[in-house]
Amino acid sequence: MKNSDDIDVITRALARVEPGRPGGNASDAGARALLAALAAERPGPSAARPRRRSARRLVVGLAGAGLLAAGVAVGPGLLKGGGTPSYAVTKESDGVVYVQVRDFRDRAGLAKRLEELNVPAIVDYAPPGKWCEEPRGTHVQDIPRGLYSVPENIPGEQDSQGWQMRIDTKLFKPGQTFVWTISDHSTSTILMSGPIAPCVLVPDTSHEVRPIKSDYRLATTKGGSLAGFRVDEKTVGEVLPELDRRGLRITYLIMGVTPDNPGGYAELRTQTRPVGDDWIVWEAEESIREPGLIRLLVTDKRFDRNPVYGGPRDSVIKERS
Amino acid sequence: MYRETYGLITAYAARRCDSPQDAVDVVAETFAIAWRRMGEVPDGQQATLWLYGVARKVLANHYRVQVRRQSLNVELDAEMADLYQAAPDSGVELTAIAHIFRALPDADRELLSLVAWEELDRQQIATVLGISRNAVRIRLHRARRRFARALAEADVHFTSESRSAPAKEHL
Repeated sequence: MKNSDDIDVITRALARVEPGRPGGNASDAGARALLAALAAERPGPSAARPRRRSARRLVVGLAGAGLLAAGVAVGPGLLKGGGTPSYAVTKESDGVVYVQVRDFRDRAGLAKRLEELNVPAIVDYAPPGKWCEEPRGTHVQDIPRGLYSVPENIPGEQDSQGWQMRIDTKLFKPGQTFVWTISDHSTSTILMSGPIAPCVLVPDTSHEVRPIKSDYRLATTKGGSLAGFRVDEKTVGEVLPELDRRGLRITYLIMGVTPDNPGGYAELRTQTRPVGDDWIVWEAEESIREPGLIRLLVTDKRFDRNPVYGGPRDSVIKERS
Repeated sequence: MYRETYGLITAYAARRCDSPQDAVDVVAETFAIAWRRMGEVPDGQQATLWLYGVARKVLANHYRVQVRRQSLNVELDAEMADLYQAAPDSGVELTAIAHIFRALPDADRELLSLVAWEELDRQQIATVLGISRNAVRIRLHRARRRFARALAEADVHFTSESRSAPAKEHL
């Protein structure tokens, strides 16, 4: 039998396009035509959305999705943000503007600030379940390189909901406008030319955040590794002995909960390092991939109601005895 | 991302599709999916692997159903046709090998070509195919063995020295 090198060499020789060589070039007419055709279509829900870190992951699918949905927009960035402005726009002397947005609802403030800095922009806020009816104008196909950056996390605020982007105002051509649609879940940034239709809100759920499939599932319901053992609203110290007795390994999900605790939480971080015995457990999940690994959903203090369920667990999970 | 991956994906499609029209469809559909699912595209080099993953699924669907051509892009059609035209002439020996290669199971051809044509390593292939690295290793070993056996059975002899293709870093 030929050795594997020979086989690969033979296979290589069969390649229509020599390995290592590109097929086409992105600057070819065909490539540009393809890109233009794509750009004419509305980009995906999160096209220009800053990449969400784990903090963004709010567990919606755990129990009553509708119940928890209210908490979806909550992020630790907003929790801490007592003195942080909802947006910041700064202009450098070379015409480069940095925009940082932390609160997606302050549409007017952001629009005004951009106008002051001569950034031709329209900003609209789309409430959940709605989006501005499209098309609103002609999309510019030939976007100058460096005109704007894709929204990115604000440095030092990795866990926040906010994003920032860099815009080079020198590169705008006359008649071009930046059309922003911001919502709680996504930000769309499209460069358009000519007249722009006002935002007419229409029902649209394609911009909603889709729940991320979790690697964990509830451990305390029937069939779970903690079936029959309630952990909710107990302290870590009360829960640990039973977990030890069952030979389970533990990881902690530190939850972020807004002061008014509307139901729902953010995942601040996950750690295997033990937390205080007086911390509060709100639920236990088990790893789907690693049997015997339990994830405790914890906070460092007690809340008046279980943030996981927006109230008592019993109101959401009905167990037949 | 488009700029960086366009060359790779067009080459991939051209290597895997029998006709330039099919290759254009695969390229167009792959980028259309990437566009629609922009938020899912990972960063950096992973983006390329993600695209390969999409392209291979498009390719698979392409063979299953006769898709109607979605968009008319005459420039891309022409460029792809040129790419096929420019393909090196295959000698008799290579044509025979190509014939045997085509007779291999789809999965074998895919694996062998990801190694030899796209020059991906095991980990990268594992990512593209969504399987473990070890599974790649095992399947690749079997695919190579089947190809070698088929070549031996057909009594096709091939000396690697006779081709100019340099043996690149192998797995």
